[in-house]
Amino acid sequence: MTKRLLTAILPLCIALVLASAPLFAHHGNAAFDYNKKVTVSGTVIDFLWANPHSILRFDAKDDKGEVTHWVVEAGGPPDMARQGWAHNSFKPGDQVTVTVIQAKNGAPIGRFVGNDNIILNGKPFPAVSGSSSAGAPATPKS
Amino acid sequence: MLKRFVIWMLVLIAASSLSPLLRAQTAAANTAGNDQKWEQVPPERSAYAIKKKSAPAPRRDISGIWDALASGGIEAKGAAEHPALIKGHPQDELGGHADESLIEHPLPYTDAGIAALKEHKPSVGVRSVGPALSNDPVNGCDPPGFPRIELYDFREMQIEQTKTQVLMLYELDANYRVIWTDGRQLPQDPGPRWFGYSTGKWVDDYTFEITTIGLNPKSWIDHAGRPHTGDMKVVEQFHRVDFDTMELSMTISDPKYYSQPWQALNKFVLHRLPDDYDWLEYVCSPSDNVDYNNLVGDPVSNNQK
Repeated sequence: MTKRLLTAILPLCIALVLASAPLFAHHGNAAFDYNKKVTVSGTVIDFLWANPHSILRFDAKDDKGEVTHWVVEAGGPPDMARQGWAHNSFKPGDQVTVTVIQAKNGAPIGRFVGNDNIILNGKPFPAVSGSSSAGAPATPKS
Repeated sequence: MLKRFVIWMLVLIAASSLSPLLRAQTAAANTAGNDQKWEQVPPERSAYAIKKKSAPAPRRDISGIWDALASGGIEAKGAAEHPALIKGHPQDELGGHADESLIEHPLPYTDAGIAALKEHKPSVGVRSVGPALSNDPVNGCDPPGFPRIELYDFREMQIEQTKTQVLMLYELDANYRVIWTDGRQLPQDPGPRWFGYSTGKWVDDYTFEITTIGLNPKSWIDHAGRPHTGDMKVVEQFHRVDFDTMELSMTISDPKYYSQPWQALNKFVLHRLPDDYDWLEYVCSPSDNVDYNNLVGDPVSNNQK
């Protein structure tokens, strides 16, 4: 039974650890600066689970108390579900810290890069992180 | 006797509690959300490779829920056998080329084919343009059509067989095809359809061959924008290798645009998923696209409204 248990779990572990295909190259990435990563913390407003991109919106407060309204995109549900995300992963009021690549024009708009850059309510998200693919497989429509 | 009975009951209880783990050996991994039965995602390719030997292929049966994703069904740069990429440059950084003359596996374009190719502005491959300049019809939620439904974002599909048809259901945009197996001939002068007119037959007990014509030339063949006329003919062969594995090969003939037939897929592997597998929805919604443009697309492009 122990050998069978290992045989059942091991493929899943291997599958989660291996990097999946670089889906971010699926479509144009021209609007985002892949050399410009920023780390931002804030309070979740809402999470849109939809194609072409899932979108997390949160308010980040700086030292002076000024609020910046951030919009961060990930892939659509079929791709994010493979990485352990779900429609109810983020709820209004949750605390997040994210590292994203930012829009070239400096707007508080970003794109998630991989799954090892998100802290949700003090814990890494998703709970089992294995994929290093960027979260943008669907077509940006503009 | 009582002691033996108790021991057997304990063994049975232990075995039944382990059954979910045993199912996990063959069931798809990685369910998203909170409910094990819904919104499942297929295993990575390595998980299929590790699994134990399959049962033999059933005769004249390609039914089931099949996973194309693990074998590279996304086909981000064009049909799997002919990506629009230059050798050694797997990404889009060489976009902007006028044609595909430098790609590693070039297609046999005629002059008319090259002219038609140049009308298409894809967002991927050596001819890629920025997203705002792309005229890819799926950007506006046009149907991918056939054969693009198997040459781009080819994820899960389900095949069912009736007495006179083979039905194919696809995850991408919830599209379907009807393949007639009642012996009818293809129409002589078909009006254009996004998914064409198809007839199918068994060439042997494990290979089902489909011929499709009457395809709407508004669709692109693949994500790299390969063009086709309304006279294109597509032949697929679904070959059942064993119970869990199928190979899909596809040949495209369109003499006005391509001087000879070419293979878009060559023994592309489909893996069988459990019969109770609920695949994800993946639908292009114009209003979702408007929302995305309002939230992200336009602001990052400085197209403020």
